[in-house]
Amino acid sequence: MYSFLFYLILEVLGWMFLILSFSVIVIYMIMMVLSSLEMRDYLRKNQFADYGDIITSPIAPGVSILAPAFNEGQNIVQNVKSLLSLHYGRFEVIVINDGSKDDTLAKLIEPFELVKTDFAYFPEIETQPVRGVYKSSNMSFRRLIVIDKENGGKADALNTGINIANMEILACIDVDCILASDSISRMIRPFMEETNRKVIAVGGVIGIANNCDVQDGTVTTYRVPESVLGKFQVVEYFRAFLMGRMAWSRINGLMLISGAFGFFRTDIVRKVGGYFPKTVGEDMELIVRMRRYMYEEKIAYKVAFVPDLLCWTEVPESEDVLSRQRNRWMRGTIETLQLHKALKLNPKYGTIGTLSYPFWNVFEKNGPILEVTGLIYTLVLIFIGDFSAIYFMALLVMMYLLSLLVSAFSVLYEQIAFNHYKDKKDLRRLIWMIITEPLVVHPKVVWWGLKGHWDFIKGKGGWGSMIRKGFKTAEDKKNLSTQSNT
Amino acid sequence: MKKILIIEDDLLISSLVQFRLKKDGYETHLVKDGNEGIKAIEDLNPDLIITDVMMPFRSGIEIIHHAKKSKPDTPIIVLSSLGEEEEVVLEAFNLGVSDFVPKPFNPNELAIRVKRVLS
Amino acid sequence: MKKTLLLFYFLGIFLVVPKVLAQEISIPKDPKDFRTFLQIQKEVPGLGYRLLIPDSSIDSTLLAELDLQIIPTDSGQLSGVKENFELFGLLPNDSLGFQVIYTVFEQATADSAAQEYLANLVRNGDFVPRTEIQKPQNDLVALAIHSPYIPVFGNKYTFTADIKLFIVTSVIFTFFIFAFGMFVYMLVLRAKKNRKEELEAEYDQMIVDPLTSILFDKSLEEIKQMKMEELNSFFPNELVIKPIYREVLIDRIIGLNKKMKGDFKDKLKTLYHKLGLAKVSVDKIKLRSSSKWHIVADGLVEINEMDLVEFVPEVKKLTNSSNFHVRSLAVAAMLNLSQKSDLSFLRDQTYPLSDWQQMNYLRIIKFVSQSKELKIEMLFESQNPSIRSFGLKLVRMLGRVDLLEKLSQIAPKLGDEEKVEVLKVYREFGAHMEVDFVNDCLRSSNKELMTQAIKAARVVGNEQSVEILESLLLNENDFHIKMLILKSIHELNDDKFQELTIRNTDSSLFKMRKHILDPKLSHV
Repeated sequence: MYSFLFYLILEVLGWMFLILSFSVIVIYMIMMVLSSLEMRDYLRKNQFADYGDIITSPIAPGVSILAPAFNEGQNIVQNVKSLLSLHYGRFEVIVINDGSKDDTLAKLIEPFELVKTDFAYFPEIETQPVRGVYKSSNMSFRRLIVIDKENGGKADALNTGINIANMEILACIDVDCILASDSISRMIRPFMEETNRKVIAVGGVIGIANNCDVQDGTVTTYRVPESVLGKFQVVEYFRAFLMGRMAWSRINGLMLISGAFGFFRTDIVRKVGGYFPKTVGEDMELIVRMRRYMYEEKIAYKVAFVPDLLCWTEVPESEDVLSRQRNRWMRGTIETLQLHKALKLNPKYGTIGTLSYPFWNVFEKNGPILEVTGLIYTLVLIFIGDFSAIYFMALLVMMYLLSLLVSAFSVLYEQIAFNHYKDKKDLRRLIWMIITEPLVVHPKVVWWGLKGHWDFIKGKGGWGSMIRKGFKTAEDKKNLSTQSNT
Repeated sequence: MKKILIIEDDLLISSLVQFRLKKDGYETHLVKDGNEGIKAIEDLNPDLIITDVMMPFRSGIEIIHHAKKSKPDTPIIVLSSLGEEEEVVLEAFNLGVSDFVPKPFNPNELAIRVKRVLS
Repeated sequence: MKKTLLLFYFLGIFLVVPKVLAQEISIPKDPKDFRTFLQIQKEVPGLGYRLLIPDSSIDSTLLAELDLQIIPTDSGQLSGVKENFELFGLLPNDSLGFQVIYTVFEQATADSAAQEYLANLVRNGDFVPRTEIQKPQNDLVALAIHSPYIPVFGNKYTFTADIKLFIVTSVIFTFFIFAFGMFVYMLVLRAKKNRKEELEAEYDQMIVDPLTSILFDKSLEEIKQMKMEELNSFFPNELVIKPIYREVLIDRIIGLNKKMKGDFKDKLKTLYHKLGLAKVSVDKIKLRSSSKWHIVADGLVEINEMDLVEFVPEVKKLTNSSNFHVRSLAVAAMLNLSQKSDLSFLRDQTYPLSDWQQMNYLRIIKFVSQSKELKIEMLFESQNPSIRSFGLKLVRMLGRVDLLEKLSQIAPKLGDEEKVEVLKVYREFGAHMEVDFVNDCLRSSNKELMTQAIKAARVVGNEQSVEILESLLLNENDFHIKMLILKSIHELNDDKFQELTIRNTDSSLFKMRKHILDPKLSHV
């Protein structure tokens, strides 16, 4: 009887992995095709776009840049200065000091001649208490607003900024990001172009600034980082942004906009109640909730994506920091999918319910688990000497080849579309990275993902159980008191 | 013979300018970006610099800064598609450039201004 | 390429893996075959036989050799119970007249019973029959292939095992075909792009010198008089017919045209015509295939930049194109090139106007309106609400105070969205005579319209507006609107403002008061 069960499980798993690997290949092929079509169209359209007018035009929308800062004392002044020098007409920079333990606020007060004001605003979204709203007494810094508040995490800081923002568009960025001077103009264009659909959010590409030369807020010379993890992330970012997000944006199925550089329509963000501070994946969760809201309200909409490289950031090259980042991403993904279970395969939610959600569920969330099971399965087959072990070894080899293909394609893609890494040596390094990555770095990423799953399971009770239950509608978040301590 | 350094990223514009100035009997040198420009200022020791404001690698402002520091007596003519009231152009004037020629321009007009600045 | 070879190597391996042999062993029914079958088995537990030799005239030495323990009987000589079937092979041949009597557990049975007994053993798995022996010592693999397939439980999964193989191979096949296609595609694309860039750089060098010398050495008249042969000495004909060369030439002339002034512009334009480039441009915009929209768009840009006024009728046909970019560029070109102040091409557009288009048109209209008075009022008659709104915006942005009267006539009949634009105009121009309209809008249930009216009242309002604002304030819950109302009251009637904010103990009103009175916040 036991042996019967054992073989039955083997058989079922076998089928599952066959179907899975088949779909992985088909999905990636479709994604490659979609992304290249999207890229072609984008490059063509961009040829005819004149960004010169947008800075001075009275028709261009106003932008509130929200930059949360926590213990950023060291570079905050320089960072704020470069934000203020962005080329755009109507914009404000809202820096939110999220209860820093260091001198972040003090550092800002003197150079920007800040004074506390009687700024009146309506705390539409519940946040940690605000200690003060500062503005400059010098007209040349009139665009700057600094909010000082009690610590409440990044999402909470952004929510405070959303409450205070005065403009139609919100730009949520990391304060230490390097932004190209024309970044706002380029990101605003999708908002201005659509007529039959409302553009609710625009995502951008994040470039890796490690080891590059930076001048006047733009990267002038690109170099691939020295460390293995740094190089890995270059390839990974190409894959994620140039392939993945381009493809998803083609079918309007984007589920994630990078938290370090994302633009949103203020009214919609306010309508859904802003960020949800009780999840670690607040950037993904907000987009999913906004999209859900649009479906529930039955308004035609779009989440757009701009593939130009306009924002750069230093990525962690230490294994320790990276592992925590990946762990957090995994938990964020699981939590978002849990919170929005209602989307799962629900045709009411269009592309995102029928395609994006299942994709994230199978490949992003359960990817590491499936990979490890697949490996164990093959090992068991080899161990019991089952003939079909050969098939699965073949499939494993093919998955490796597929990953080579996808990565190579993304790099080639970058070469054709942008060609930032001009040095041939860099290209060789990236190719070497592509070949070794599935064997050297990928197992680590899988392991960090599994740890994320484990940490999610451990975090029971309190918000954990709320997250497990999920939101009934997109507007549910507004009815929750997220500041109470549970 | 007077030496003129032309810093301009648009090849056609710079060769037009060069062609016109050669006709007036000047020795001209072309460079196409800011980095080369700064090097050329040091190496060539030109009598006049004609530069664009917006260029790859280094802005015209940086070049003007540099030139005013290392060769304070060399006159500079700025050639730019930006309007005269733009901040960058005002900044250039503040740094002490001799003349400003807005694009679109007429090379003959530029030649006259060069003659005036050099005399 | 090496990688691809490696891939094919792997593929090869999977294709040559032999099919698993799976067969049902059946017990032969024919006595002779059954004997041969048993001979191969050597021994079968419980199954034996006796030999009956009817003729006693057999060579007794042979019988002794076989150790048959012969017992003579009536019908002949009967051997003892034997279990070694290999003996069948040693018996000389049938002509001897041996008769085989099978025994099961030493009891003689009929042939069919023995066969059934053996079949039972096989079915229960108690006995595994061998198949033919073929020099096992030489070829172990062959032996393995011919050894019978042993299903773990029955033959339930033998078929699926084959399907798996099928799926794996097809997955691999699809993958390789796709991967190969992708690689070729990318390589071709890259090669094409590189080639094009090389050519462009090369042609660029070839174009710079002749273009410069023509522009300086020849007067406009001379260029106009130039014969084709003369022109070809600067720009060789065999090059001009090459599309890439032509594109580079067009690019260069347009680039120069943008940055040049005076007679240089005319010279460039003449050259553009003489070299047949104008024809190239207009041929581009005659393409009708929707996938070639970017070429049409290119053509429109060229016509616009080079002021090719003669193609205005062609351009006009494209102003209502279904492609966003073509339509936008066509309208932009029309605005630039059209000699008339007629805006009918814009009025008759059926597609909604995006902010992006409005922004571009506004810039051109601002520029063009310096030289000719545009009939903006035509846009008010459009069937398309977004065009009507745009017309109203233009009144405000171009400062067309002369159109105020016209606005005042049409305003009450407009939709809410357009009323919003009208209010913005009144606010911008400080149109005090329109205060009644503003006050009407203050009472609107449309939030957007009301908000805009509150802002307009700040500039053009009267005492009646203050009264309406006060009543609005008391009934309004929205923080942002309340703030706007207070600001307007503050501008119109400071006493009222003081009275409302000080008297009222509502803390949010007091906060707003402080905000409005804070000088540092006045330019937010």
